[in-house]
Amino acid sequence: MTPLASSTLTTVATVMVVYLGVLIFIAWRAAKRTHGGEDFHLAGRSLGAWAAGISSTTSSESGWVTLGAVGMTFTHGVSGLWYAPGCLLGYLVNVYLVAPRLRPLSENQGSVTLTDVITRRWGDPRNVLRITATTIILICMMGYVAAQMTAAGKAFSSSLGLEGRSGYILGVVIGAAVIILVTSLGGFRAVAWTDLFQGLLVAGALIALPLYAIARLGGFDALIQGLGSISPHLLSAGGDRIGPALWGFVVGQLGIGLGYPGMPHVITRYMATRDDREVQRLQVIAMFWGVAVFYGAGLVGLISRVMLPGLIDGEQGLMALALHLVHPVLAGLLLAAVISAILSTVSSQLLVAASAVSYDVVEETLNKARDDRRSLVLGRWTVAIVGVIGILIALSEVRLVFWFVLFAWSGLGASFAPLVLLAMARRGVNRHGALAAMLTGTGVTVAWKLGRDAAANPEAFARVWWMTLLVAAAILIIGHLTKAFEGGDRVAVATAAGLTVLGWWLVQRLGLDNVYELVPAFFLAGAAALAVSAIAGTSDEVSEQAG
Amino acid sequence: MEEYSLTLGAHLLLWTFPLALVILVVAESLLDTRKGETER
Repeated sequence: MTPLASSTLTTVATVMVVYLGVLIFIAWRAAKRTHGGEDFHLAGRSLGAWAAGISSTTSSESGWVTLGAVGMTFTHGVSGLWYAPGCLLGYLVNVYLVAPRLRPLSENQGSVTLTDVITRRWGDPRNVLRITATTIILICMMGYVAAQMTAAGKAFSSSLGLEGRSGYILGVVIGAAVIILVTSLGGFRAVAWTDLFQGLLVAGALIALPLYAIARLGGFDALIQGLGSISPHLLSAGGDRIGPALWGFVVGQLGIGLGYPGMPHVITRYMATRDDREVQRLQVIAMFWGVAVFYGAGLVGLISRVMLPGLIDGEQGLMALALHLVHPVLAGLLLAAVISAILSTVSSQLLVAASAVSYDVVEETLNKARDDRRSLVLGRWTVAIVGVIGILIALSEVRLVFWFVLFAWSGLGASFAPLVLLAMARRGVNRHGALAAMLTGTGVTVAWKLGRDAAANPEAFARVWWMTLLVAAAILIIGHLTKAFEGGDRVAVATAAGLTVLGWWLVQRLGLDNVYELVPAFFLAGAAALAVSAIAGTSDEVSEQAG
Repeated sequence: MEEYSLTLGAHLLLWTFPLALVILVVAESLLDTRKGETER
């Protein structure tokens, strides 16, 4: 974040304190309406279209949309915008295919989490699917939460004028404390309502700032002439890339959208929507928000490149442009928008991680705390504990955790998006296929990601194939010792291991390292689900419980 | 002074795609609303 001048610091800090106060007030109102477990984990399935629509979109974007997306077009020009159709196609699939089917499905099943949907859809007599899904979600989400807390800490420390290591620690603690308070007080309802407030703030900032800046610049043509004079490549859809590099880039950016149906913190919003009519209204709201925010962020990057020739880090474009153009009070609001994008995501992810522990593990797997009141108390305490662990990870900067973050989007997307889509299709898959899809999605993502970064980490990449076999063997031994595995589960593990090694081989032999890992992992996971389901039938006929 | 302009691909990426998407979403919503009124 750009350091602020002392004259503007007090104003910006005041705006930030008011903003945090609004978040806590919203949470307090939500807490008064939260009386039991389903209220805490799913807002009692009572969300209206605005809260569900904006919350589902804003929680999926994190600080990436106000920082990373701005940096993309700042650096690459118009060609940096390829993320926008990728993400919007993901939104289309989510709101028009997944949401209208998932809401009634989860209501009929009585499902509370994504893991619940999967296990009740295909049956899970020995908790194999629940434990696998919960493990993947927890690993990805805890990494995400810690990374977002780090980003929030940096944003808070610079906006509140807190300097040095102690300033960073205080920034992390302030941001995290507010989020833990909001999430544990009001649960899902507080998270959705604060998301709505923050999502509107982000959209407002990303609509108003580029319009004002273009007017100040002298019109859209002045922007085009300014970009062209820096480099004509900034005005083309391919930038300075040609051949396989261009296609790899475009496919990768479009492939981002494949992950959306697999994000637990996004699709639980659809499960929590009040009725089908609200889902229809949600579709329009979510799509308009997406177009406004993605293209607004892209324009901010392009404008910053022309208006701020001295700016080195393009990701700072939004804040630098705000400070360059508007009054400190408005700049404070725009900084609040940057932080909003981070906090709305971290609260949603914190709730998903806590629900995975308190609901999926304690309540469902261990059969504890089944009454509504105890479920609420357990949920609140779990949010607090998971949040504190997140703070500790963020402050200790454990490298392994941040290594996992690199896989979080594609890992979650490849593990769950094919399954969610297949669950909506209502045919062709059984519980062994579901297990194969989750393991293949995770395995291929890791193998491909290491393959893409082989130049940076050749030793890790070289170890992929035998590490895969070791992990597969360990899973098979645990499944055997706990008597949890059936024959079909063993086929699923073996298939996932084989496809992971295939992924490793494809990257190494065919030079596909410019393809974003989510694309092959998604399709291989889907293929694994269908193939294993065809090979290994279930031993009972109850697997299609709620279909 | 040289005049610069967006390439065709850049026009498609920057304007045409989002505009077409918004039109599609609004049209689908209007159709839904009309369908709902007819059913009522």
